[in-house]
Amino acid sequence: MSAHPSSSSTIALQHYPNPPRSLSLTSPPSQGPGYTQVQVRQSFGGQQTYAAAGGGQASYNSTTYGAPAHAGSPAPTNYPNTPAPVVGQEDQPKKKIDWPISVRNYVQRSFLPDNMDPSVTRAEMESKLKETISQANDSGVMYTVNWETMPLPQQMIREDRARAKLVSLTKAAPIYPVGLAPSNNSMAKGKKRKSTDDKDLAAEASSPPPWRNGQSQSLMSRTSYASPEKRHPVEEAPILKNVSKSQKDKRQKQGDGGYKSTYQVPTQPMNTGPVVGTCMDLEKRFLRLTSAPVAALVRPEIVLRQTLELLKQKWKKDQNYSYICDQFKSMRQDLTVQGIKNEFTVEVYEIHARIALEKGDLGEYNQCQTQLKALYQLGLKGKTIEFKAYRILYFIHTANRTALNDALADLTPTEKKELPIKHALDVRSALALGNYHRFFRLYNETPNMGAYLVDKFVGRERLAALCNICKAYKPDVPLRFVTEELYFESDAEAAQFILDYNPDLLQERQEKIYFLTGKAGKLFEGHRAEAFSKIDIKGQI
Amino acid sequence: MDSIFDKFAEAQLNRNGYRLAKTLSPDLPNEELYSIWNSCNAHDVRAILKRSIQNTATGMDKLPHQEVAGWVEVYYTYWKAVGELLAVQGPSVAYGKQFQPSSWTKVFAAWTDLLSALIRGYLSQGFEAWTIPCLYVAGKHLRVFAIKADDERNKNSSLDITAGGNFQDDFNPEAEQHAKLEDCARQLQKIFNLCLNDRAPLEESRKWGIYYVTNLQFKTYFKFNSAALSKNVLKAISAGRGDMPPLTAFPKSQQVTFKYYEGILCFLEENYVEAENHLTEAWNLCHKDATRNKELILTYLIPCHLLTTHTLPSQKLLEPYPRLQKLFSELARCIKKGELHAFDLALQEGEDEFVRRRIYLTLERGRDIALRNLLRKVFLAGGFEESKEEGGSPVRRTRVPIAEFAAGISLGSQETLDDDEVECLIANMIYKASKLYTARSRAPGSVYAQLVIALQTNGIQESSFQSCLASSILASLWRWRCLGLQGSTWTTRPLGLMKGYIARERGIVVLSKSGAFPGTGI
Repeated sequence: MSAHPSSSSTIALQHYPNPPRSLSLTSPPSQGPGYTQVQVRQSFGGQQTYAAAGGGQASYNSTTYGAPAHAGSPAPTNYPNTPAPVVGQEDQPKKKIDWPISVRNYVQRSFLPDNMDPSVTRAEMESKLKETISQANDSGVMYTVNWETMPLPQQMIREDRARAKLVSLTKAAPIYPVGLAPSNNSMAKGKKRKSTDDKDLAAEASSPPPWRNGQSQSLMSRTSYASPEKRHPVEEAPILKNVSKSQKDKRQKQGDGGYKSTYQVPTQPMNTGPVVGTCMDLEKRFLRLTSAPVAALVRPEIVLRQTLELLKQKWKKDQNYSYICDQFKSMRQDLTVQGIKNEFTVEVYEIHARIALEKGDLGEYNQCQTQLKALYQLGLKGKTIEFKAYRILYFIHTANRTALNDALADLTPTEKKELPIKHALDVRSALALGNYHRFFRLYNETPNMGAYLVDKFVGRERLAALCNICKAYKPDVPLRFVTEELYFESDAEAAQFILDYNPDLLQERQEKIYFLTGKAGKLFEGHRAEAFSKIDIKGQI
Repeated sequence: MDSIFDKFAEAQLNRNGYRLAKTLSPDLPNEELYSIWNSCNAHDVRAILKRSIQNTATGMDKLPHQEVAGWVEVYYTYWKAVGELLAVQGPSVAYGKQFQPSSWTKVFAAWTDLLSALIRGYLSQGFEAWTIPCLYVAGKHLRVFAIKADDERNKNSSLDITAGGNFQDDFNPEAEQHAKLEDCARQLQKIFNLCLNDRAPLEESRKWGIYYVTNLQFKTYFKFNSAALSKNVLKAISAGRGDMPPLTAFPKSQQVTFKYYEGILCFLEENYVEAENHLTEAWNLCHKDATRNKELILTYLIPCHLLTTHTLPSQKLLEPYPRLQKLFSELARCIKKGELHAFDLALQEGEDEFVRRRIYLTLERGRDIALRNLLRKVFLAGGFEESKEEGGSPVRRTRVPIAEFAAGISLGSQETLDDDEVECLIANMIYKASKLYTARSRAPGSVYAQLVIALQTNGIQESSFQSCLASSILASLWRWRCLGLQGSTWTTRPLGLMKGYIARERGIVVLSKSGAFPGTGI
């Protein structure tokens, strides 16, 4: 530490020259004062306690989250917000759908002037149409339902209204937000389907026509869930999927080449809003979702806010990265499935990004920064300047020219004048022009936590600079010159760096050490090329 | 509708794909679109189409049933798309009353149906390969409609924060802005596969459609900022290159566009040597009156040249392109004069435009050349010293104190640098010499190599040679090369910035006695 001022810091900093780097978690000044951890603690019991801090990944294995999403959780019927089961909701990208002619005719028919109902607005009709059609599509009966006889949306809306009135009068059933009701496959009843899964059909023989399931079906669905195989909506998905698959096959046999088939499986029913979580646990293991999220396992924002405070404390205390990272991932997941995109979301991503940076987990950092970029674009406030600067440094590290170009194009003139961004831009320009002298001065002045990023490529830049020096300086240079130019902590460190590559390049005379540049030849070229060739972008810990 | 089928019949008779494609164009005056739309209605359209297609086919060998069915479907979807198109053009069309209000999204969907019908025709209804221009028309307009649909949606709806329902945390508002265009890219990929995977003999292969659709794909990818996706297409092409007609056998317009994009893709990856080759090819093939295209090519070719050969565009070259003049003139002047400070200002001035065109990072490196020219001036100002040999003519002073260079740089950049930084800059000048040289000598396909081969075999294909020389860039390159070639040592001659070394202990730069600044005549 001889050459540089050091600082007290909450984070383990070894040789880093600069104080500001210690800000990690504390950077958002609005750290909530009301940190209440206590009550919620109780709910951890049994199920998902983490092994004592410091435990490795293995200690998670005993938690129930390794099991399928529903195991060990209460039956979804206890949660009014359980989302409708969804067909094929695997994480395929959202696909566009080619609507069949019958459906289009149906839509057209709805808007014929003769059929218009003055009491129903256009917007209502559109949303109803969307709901009906996507339901049909999601349950795979779009091609079998007889659209000719399907009631028009205005009729359905009138019926809905009448029923809503009735319901609100009798208060018999809880009102579900439209679209969240468990209204899955009643459409499957549709016309002349000679399906193999009669059992399902039988169970549904009495279910109402599709346009009725908006609100009144809640009771119905509760009763139908009583049969054991119906308990878990997620488990139904495969059955329905098979149906739609067999239909697909049929279509292919009809000789249309099946060219539409790839677009038949939507990932998200348009009528299902985001989940609203009901889980009250503070901690939760991360588990990659492969099906629709379950409200009972998702924490609402108010809980997540407490979680964040808890995690901050834990991070300061234990510095257990694998635990923290896992927790943050599950937090991010909960935010995503609930569609929460606000300044709290930004804060979560920012903190996770900082922690990942500090631990050199660039893969995770990159995920966060990608999201942050999108969140900032939505106009959400955050540490925009700080993270845009990181972003530039990151792309310098990954030598991603195209992304760097895009990042530059993103900046506004005002942003370019902000210190962290200006610094990052200067770093970029110094490196682009090979000005190692300036680069290493800038390295010393890196604001915020950017130095963690610069650390990642300072080694290869040193090699590049050494190549340069070896070519340009003859016959030798004092070792001290190398130390200072390449910003080594000490002569010893500089000497070590050189000796690691070749033990014969240093010479002592008149009590000074010289670096024999003339003798190095192409030695560093090879190492430089190697260092630049392996930039592991994914590089997760 | 009748006129369509007259043309259809004629095209079928002559097996003229481009004629045939014209019958599927949406690019018609509204009156014509209207008369097409009006000639049938939803109930009888298929019957009419079927009759027309069967009837028109009587003059020649009858179309097979399946093919007839395929074309009926194609024209049926076309007819529907025309309806949407008329509807979306809304109030401006007098006949608008009878149309439901439409949107470009619907037009896009309808046009996608047309494309699907065509693809199905090829896959299972025996459409012949000569008809592929129909795919061109379908693809080309699909892209146009997609862009319009995206614009329309983005204008009408502000960003929906809750949109993008995806369980994993990778939503991307930017992607949503280009939703239709990305959809379009997927459709184009289908055409691409349809063409690439055709195993019929070359004469009747859909492979002849490959470059047209590839160019469309490039265009689409660039439009939504995913140029990197183009790489996949290139890979697929080069994998299948063996059993594909050579690029030179395709229409010139397709060659130019393909080479242009190939060049830019290399350019974006900083592979300037390759980029220069591709762009030069595009430049040479480009139609002489296609000013806009030539301008686009030069936008990237000039920065390439700056880095690979250290040559600047002449006034004459830029003359027909005011836009390029604005982009490059001032920079070129600064580089030439070695005015570092003015160079920085000019770069800053044009930064937005440069960044937008993705040439900023490349032009920035022109500063090296400016610096070289500045250092050269310092060297020249050092004058001569007496030759060591008895009676020899005076030679240039090749031992230059660092301080002199430092003064020169301070003057040029209007900022004071410490000596270490000056040394660093000089070290760079010396170092970069060797790097550029190796990069160039390893490029057998480069312009230099071509010129040299042409020279050595003495005058083959004079015409193509002259077209090379037509551009003054190449002419200047040519002059320069001729000098270098005289000892046929061109491959071993380093094109560096500065030759010599720094003797730090003595505080001087020792420059090479022969060619301290290669390529500049001293």
